Amino acid sequence: MASETTVPVLLPEPELAPPRRFRTLRDLLRKKIALLAIAYLAIFYACGLLAPFIAPYGLNDQQLTVETRLQPPSADHLLGTDRLGRDMLTRVLYSARTTVVFTIVIVISGGLFLGLGLGLLAGYRGGWVDTAIMRTGEVLSGMPTLILMLAITASFRGRINSWSFWLEDHTFLGDDSKTLVKFTIISLATVPFAWLGSSRIVRSQVLAIREQAYVTAAESLGATTPRILIRHVLPGVMPLFLVGLSSGMAGIAGAEVALSYLGLGIDEPAASFGNLIGDVNGTRFFEQYPYLLVAGAGPVILFLFSWNLLGDALVDVFDRRQNSHR
Amino acid sequence: MGPGLAGYIIRRLLWAIPVLFLISITVFAMLRLAPGSPIDAILGQRYTEEQAAVLRDKYGYDDPLPVQYVKYIGNLAQGDLGVSTRHRDFTASEIIWPKIWISTQLGLIALVIVFGLGIPVGVYAAMARGTFIDPLTIAFWLAIEAIPTFVLVTLTSWFFALKLGVIDLGYEGVWTPNMIVPVLVMSLPGVAGVARFMRASVIGVLGEDYIRTARAKGLKEQTIVLTHITRNALLPMITVIGLSLPGITTGSLFVEVGFGIPGIANESLQAVLAPDYDVILALVLFGATLFVLANVAIDILYGFIDPRVRVGVGRGQ
Repeated sequence: MASETTVPVLLPEPELAPPRRFRTLRDLLRKKIALLAIAYLAIFYACGLLAPFIAPYGLNDQQLTVETRLQPPSADHLLGTDRLGRDMLTRVLYSARTTVVFTIVIVISGGLFLGLGLGLLAGYRGGWVDTAIMRTGEVLSGMPTLILMLAITASFRGRINSWSFWLEDHTFLGDDSKTLVKFTIISLATVPFAWLGSSRIVRSQVLAIREQAYVTAAESLGATTPRILIRHVLPGVMPLFLVGLSSGMAGIAGAEVALSYLGLGIDEPAASFGNLIGDVNGTRFFEQYPYLLVAGAGPVILFLFSWNLLGDALVDVFDRRQNSHR
Repeated sequence: MGPGLAGYIIRRLLWAIPVLFLISITVFAMLRLAPGSPIDAILGQRYTEEQAAVLRDKYGYDDPLPVQYVKYIGNLAQGDLGVSTRHRDFTASEIIWPKIWISTQLGLIALVIVFGLGIPVGVYAAMARGTFIDPLTIAFWLAIEAIPTFVLVTLTSWFFALKLGVIDLGYEGVWTPNMIVPVLVMSLPGVAGVARFMRASVIGVLGEDYIRTARAKGLKEQTIVLTHITRNALLPMITVIGLSLPGITTGSLFVEVGFGIPGIANESLQAVLAPDYDVILALVLFGATLFVLANVAIDILYGFIDPRVRVGVGRGQ
């Protein structure tokens, strides 16, 4: 912040922004652990998005013979086969697709739309808009999250069939209708709780930036509210917003895995890590077929671990920045 | 305790009332408007219309929603949480309180372990800043945090019960050796969060002038770390401890299901699946009340510890 006071007020803000952003990236790239995490996340997201093209078998290709069921890893099946003789690698790739799509959907709806949008609105407008948004957030964060997520998913589950039959009849979705409905339900259960943290971070940032000279200058020049928010406030808000978002990613992805494990999220015929782990979990089963749990749970544990590491590294970079400014 | 703080506490407590009302109205409406009905839950698949009418009349399900809500709140004020539709002859209170007590005891032990491990780990990592020990320590605990609880349950129970054969895992009461593994599974994933917070707090304190002064006057490193650094870095920890207190009463779902502990998280899942309307409502309200109270308690605690809060400066209110 200190460097900005020496700059003439009327200099356009975007010219100031690039060096700051690159400094964050540089600090982050200096951390080897963060680099490894980013690399794994990139691979995971690529695999998830490309699952149908790179999967060696069809998702539900079964081979129900003694020789083909519950196989350890081999050249034919790199991660082995499950109870029904389905290729584990294929199921892992399709599960990654579920995780990838789910995190993207929640980041856009809960993070960008609700978290960033409501945070900007509350901080910039102030007054009753601010009060309404922030109080709603406090009420929501006061509720026991898991019970409510379970209650929401469970109360919608009775309607899955009627909704998906309607979709099958009236849209092009066909067999995917049921999965889409289930996906919508777990999203609806997650979104109400996904924006609370980020909107609070964004709001407090906006409150600070709103008082800056370049914002007042833009206001006095007659810039419209959307323009001020997007061109002048947003660039200053984004770094901390992204830090908060990346710290919350493991929790978002974990919620889907947990709901699916309980049978309340994505299940057959689609694939999800929760459902996949549920198939191969259990103490006795693990003793006989340890490789199946490793194959099923390993990729998603590494995924959550990578988000944890990345979030931690980002927080650390920003803490150090703030300490050095003091 | 000055007048400023007392007023602040009263305002906070008054503010809690509308919040709790809003939560109760939201959840009440959600449960009553959801598909299915308590009648189905009590009588099962087949019943005559007369049976249903008797029950609807008895529990007032025919009344308009606002009337039902007012009646519910009236009963609540007298400590009546309603009836359980899953366990026929029990009230919601008889179901939830004993189970909440089981979960709370386990949660409290886990909480002590989380902070007992997390705080030293955080201080250790912060003091080792700049070496490879710091990121490695934090990464280790972040890795444990990343393992889904239901996988951790399988791995630990396989290792301790089948591989080593040292511990039985059936539930025989809270204060038995059988609960050692479940409590570890509940606590170990939480260590990373506490350690990271403590690490950041210590690093903040390290830059303070009084640390330089302590070093300059030649105090032993051990004294500086324990009395100057750790004690001051612990202050912001109060919020974290306070906010995690309500959580210990809700239990850990996957641990209770995985180890067969008859706690409240286990009951919550069954109540949601049944559905057991009054029990769900009671659980949500209980959780929300604790959360609000914890927030107020934290503010009061800060008033005692940090004199600046007491005279009304330092925190913008």
